[in-house]
Amino acid sequence: MGKTTTAVTIADGLARRGLKTLLVDLDPQGHTAVALGLKKSPGLYRLICLGEPLQRIVQNARPNLDILPGDKQTEKVKRQITLSDFRESILLDILQDTDYQVVMLDLAPSFDVLHVNGLVASDWVLIPTRLDALAVDGVKEILLTMGEVARRGHAFQGFSILPTFFDRTTRETLVQFKEIVTAFGSRVWPPIPQDTKVREASAYGKTMWEYAPESASMAGYVEGKLRLGGYRQIMERMMEVING
Amino acid sequence: MADRKLERRTILDPAVAGLLNDMENRQSDAALPRREREKKARERAKMTARRDQRATFDLPPALRQRIMELAEAERLPASQLVTLALARFLQDLSAGGLDLAPLKQPSRSPRYDWNLVLPEGLLPAAPKKTIKRK
Repeated sequence: MGKTTTAVTIADGLARRGLKTLLVDLDPQGHTAVALGLKKSPGLYRLICLGEPLQRIVQNARPNLDILPGDKQTEKVKRQITLSDFRESILLDILQDTDYQVVMLDLAPSFDVLHVNGLVASDWVLIPTRLDALAVDGVKEILLTMGEVARRGHAFQGFSILPTFFDRTTRETLVQFKEIVTAFGSRVWPPIPQDTKVREASAYGKTMWEYAPESASMAGYVEGKLRLGGYRQIMERMMEVING
Repeated sequence: MADRKLERRTILDPAVAGLLNDMENRQSDAALPRREREKKARERAKMTARRDQRATFDLPPALRQRIMELAEAERLPASQLVTLALARFLQDLSAGGLDLAPLKQPSRSPRYDWNLVLPEGLLPAAPKKTIKRK
């Protein structure tokens, strides 16, 4: 779906705008660290299972950008959380007292106790999705989970849907794009064009701001004088969300 | 009176609306012969280029009518006449030749503080309506 790329690109974008940002990897694949040129490590495991203080575990990835990395040990975190009291709010309790201006959580696509913890700790949710029938169904599942979380008293400030790997030349993209826009209206943000540079950037451990800041996924489609989509436009939407 | 078709209008992100529109156009053009496709693309580019120049204001019908008559008499585009009129107005205003204060009356609208009440006789007389009698 482009979740990690989106999380890393936005987190680095916010850090570049001077916001002290923490990126937390909640996915056992641990790709967030790799995408930033760092090694996977059991950061989340040390935080939740071993109770180490956050500041000792976070790694500085870029100026203003720290990450709490993850790896396969994150699976053990799920078991630990399952056995705990007040299990849905464990992550919220830890993260709400940090001195970061923005905390971003990179969630795994699975619907488990860590996913719910991530949602409970979030004020606002960005859902990246490919535009195919199964992925769009996945968006609906996430929204149902958010609805469950909200019913238990958590107030989300909002959410948006971000179409990724967007290829405007295919009929299927248009069909799915129309469907998602009809269902979610202004919740749908301008899409991120498909771009080989994204894969290259991950392989080199660089963010898109460093590797290809003018590529299609960053700058979007050119339409006359306008630029449509791309992470640069998403950063503007993100800043509107942060500034309220 | 014909029934008005009521539709729910979805508000979209402007970039999403633009992209959706562009993709729909491309798809509908795909079936056209090349020459027609190029013609449509040219027309669309012209419309897009003019988008920044378009504006919508509520004007008294008599004023609008007068502008149209003048444009026809002078054989000029009405838009250019309106541009000239507005430019002269702004020039007068910034040079202090025109004061809005005496024309301002408090507004009851929550959106505006003032209404502009134009002096009588400033606007051209309203065009007479033709009433057909049986």
